[in-house]
Amino acid sequence: MAEQISFTINGASTTVEVDPEMLVVDVIREVLNLTGTKRGCDNSTCGTCTIVVNGKAVKSCNLPVKKITGAVVLTVEGLAKGMELHPVQKSISESGAVQCGFCTPGIVMELYGLLEENPNANQTEVENALNKHLCRCTGYEPIRDGALMAQKLIQDRK
Amino acid sequence: MEFKYLGKSYNRPDAIGKVTGKAVYLDDVRLPGMLHAAILRPEYAHAKILSISTVEAEKMPGVVKVVTGKGCQFRYGDNIKDLMPMAIEKVRYIGEPVAAVIADTLANAEAALAKIKVEYEPLPVYIDARDAIKPDAELIHQENGEYWHLPTLKPKAGTNIANEYRLLKGKGKDGFAEADVIIEGEFLYPFGSCAAIEPHGAIIWFKEDHTIEAWSSSICPFIIREDLANSYGMPVSDVRIHIPEIGGCFGYKSDITVEQTIAWIASFVPGRPVKWVATRQEDFTSTLIGHGIRTKMKIGAKKNGKLIAMESEILHSTGAYADTGVNLTMASTHNSTGPYEFDHCDLIGYTVYTNTPPVGAYRGYGHQESQFATERMMDILARKLDMDPFKLREMNYLVEGKINSLGEKMWKTHGDITKCVDLIKKSVYATVKPKEDENYYYGRGMAAVMKSPKGAPFSTKSCYMKMNIDGSVSVNMAGAEVGQGLRTVVRQVAAEALKIAPERIRVYNEIDTQFSPYEWQTIGSMFTTQGGRAIIRAADKLILMLKQTAAQVLKTDVDYLEYDGDWVYLKNDPDIRVAVKDINRGYITEDGITIGEVAQSVSDARLPRYSNPDKNGQGSLGVSYTFGVQAAEIRIEKKTGKILLDHFASAFDVGQVINPKQIRGSVMGGVLMAVGASLYEKLEFTEDGKLTNPHFFKYHLPTFKESPRQTVEFVETPDAVGPFGARGIGEHSVIGPAPAILNAIRDAVGIDFFEIPVTAEIMKKALQEKA
Repeated sequence: MAEQISFTINGASTTVEVDPEMLVVDVIREVLNLTGTKRGCDNSTCGTCTIVVNGKAVKSCNLPVKKITGAVVLTVEGLAKGMELHPVQKSISESGAVQCGFCTPGIVMELYGLLEENPNANQTEVENALNKHLCRCTGYEPIRDGALMAQKLIQDRK
Repeated sequence: MEFKYLGKSYNRPDAIGKVTGKAVYLDDVRLPGMLHAAILRPEYAHAKILSISTVEAEKMPGVVKVVTGKGCQFRYGDNIKDLMPMAIEKVRYIGEPVAAVIADTLANAEAALAKIKVEYEPLPVYIDARDAIKPDAELIHQENGEYWHLPTLKPKAGTNIANEYRLLKGKGKDGFAEADVIIEGEFLYPFGSCAAIEPHGAIIWFKEDHTIEAWSSSICPFIIREDLANSYGMPVSDVRIHIPEIGGCFGYKSDITVEQTIAWIASFVPGRPVKWVATRQEDFTSTLIGHGIRTKMKIGAKKNGKLIAMESEILHSTGAYADTGVNLTMASTHNSTGPYEFDHCDLIGYTVYTNTPPVGAYRGYGHQESQFATERMMDILARKLDMDPFKLREMNYLVEGKINSLGEKMWKTHGDITKCVDLIKKSVYATVKPKEDENYYYGRGMAAVMKSPKGAPFSTKSCYMKMNIDGSVSVNMAGAEVGQGLRTVVRQVAAEALKIAPERIRVYNEIDTQFSPYEWQTIGSMFTTQGGRAIIRAADKLILMLKQTAAQVLKTDVDYLEYDGDWVYLKNDPDIRVAVKDINRGYITEDGITIGEVAQSVSDARLPRYSNPDKNGQGSLGVSYTFGVQAAEIRIEKKTGKILLDHFASAFDVGQVINPKQIRGSVMGGVLMAVGASLYEKLEFTEDGKLTNPHFFKYHLPTFKESPRQTVEFVETPDAVGPFGARGIGEHSVIGPAPAILNAIRDAVGIDFFEIPVTAEIMKKALQEKA
């Protein structure tokens, strides 16, 4: 049965009336029409559906919507301020990390979650974060380069 | 040669849309009144359909229509019309569409699917061509031989052989009489999936005005358009196909795959668009799969290492429908010589129907499968002749003046593989290999590779460009951007050709057959070569138009004028000139009377002199060639058998680097895909044709931590065909990794493998057996 579930998404409070077991990726894409969050697999393996919930990067394809009641949710659409890209977006767009771009939103959100929480994340932490995502295009090196560029931008900003 | 805008790493024009989540992919498209389809797949990989009951499904909530294949009168296909949109009397593979539910939501469609009842009578299942080709095998297509097919194909009626392609060069098999040494081997490149992160999908809309409008994550909008028009008896111009951003292709979104099925389903609800997007499982079972190629190879050589004769048999388990696999078999067959000259060749390729999903294009298109054999064989031959494997190869490369299997003479402009060898020797072989230690064995291996496109007589690409009033330029083409970065290539090539900064050139986003200029399909690493040529031709026309207008303004002849992007001026006096922005929409004279044409042009280009095969299977089927060398440095963990790829190096002669950042990314991505195929990835079918690993947690794609350090280098011997000397490179880097890694395994532990993937389990077992 449908229930009302409220949370904040990209800075705006919202209430959806859906089956509480509905997956967050489906709520975001199909109910809220935020299509930046992608669906790439059926078993939370590929990572492209990653969003940030209460500051932490999580996969949204195995998360029932009832679990985000009252949470602060951020999707890839919520990072840029007008024309100003977030440092993760800027770096990933310039490092060669974008080819087909389908894994990109998930990786952007993963790095946002990691680096905003811990701008001084060490190499292992960055590598562990990237290892949660599948990219079929790049061979990963340009994604790592983008992550390190983003980290520097974020460190310099603070 | 020095270029102003080539050889520089401009950023991709589509990157910002992709990092902000605003880029629109197929599943992001929403249309008014859109319905959703879910498709029923069979329980058996080969069975007669006795009955289908849809009554209960029709009663389910939200259901608009339940569809079966009953009543479908047409077959479709580009090469062999053996495909149908939905199974009718029998199913031939485990992912085949049997029925579909159209509903208001996807969840309702999926729920109703479970209520459809189907009775089957199972038939024998063949996964391997070796079984399907046997004389007493059950026929997967009773109609084999009766289907419409291209005149160059030779199906064998009464068998499961959909095509036999044979190539003869020189004395064929008799050439082995001249050889001192003969070696033989059998190799398997098993089934895999392109596994783009975006699953394939389509939206089809039969409209009340008797037109079809469709969206697909395909790289072949014009083929889909023609195919749907043909199937539904409409003018081609009444079918409109949109291609949004594509989340990776790697081959399997080429040709027509899911679109005819979704069209068939949508045809039952005219007036309503119907969307279907593959689940990951369906992306494995119900789109195209890759490879399935077994290569039996025999090589004869002189004692001094000169190669004499090759005999190879490509046995291709092509899946339930051969339309998408038949050219792949041919490409694998005539490219099985690798980058070497053999005086005598007898190469045969069998495209064989089996009960798996149909095999289609996979990045590399037949080259990596048979050259896996060639490059393993070259190492084996070197050992037999007690020769340095580099030296053996160098004696036989297809360098200038040599003749390849197809009978094509190699030109200097096909590139210099020996320079690639030099780069690999420096990047991999200049240091001393580490000695075996307590934990690891160490090995190095290399492979030399060759790739040509797989063209077709009508494989054209077009370019339309218009110069705007401020001198900026809009370029419209129909090359599908799947991630390879072709929009950046278009921008840079157009900039160079028009002598205008790339920032003033805007490249198309969406492809729409209503507005986009004609393109056959974006395949075979041909876009840079042909599309780039089309850009230069269109630019030349546009510049000529500007000069024609300027000639009137400056009261002189066209051939007396020069153009530099901003001005058209007299050759011998640049001060007598007119600004491009004053003539690009015609020139307005003092009294307002306007002369000259609007500066816009259209052109196209195909592979020059591409031909069909002749009676010997030879002909100008390659035209453009790219050569390269790749090498692997590996460690094998003694305890686990795990193969760790420490370093992988690639060197290709690409003619001209257009964008260094992009080309490096393209090569690295291809290497990692083939590393996946070499060490992890294989579609596992049970004997009864069920796929046991249609999920990413079972079908393992290489992750960040499994990706090697890569060296990527280029030689630039200008090409004769491509724009400013550039050659194709999109697929090439997938060819070398499997043989290079397996040659490295042999170097490390003395064990020869003949098929991939070599997983840790397989390696560990082999080490135990050796001990």
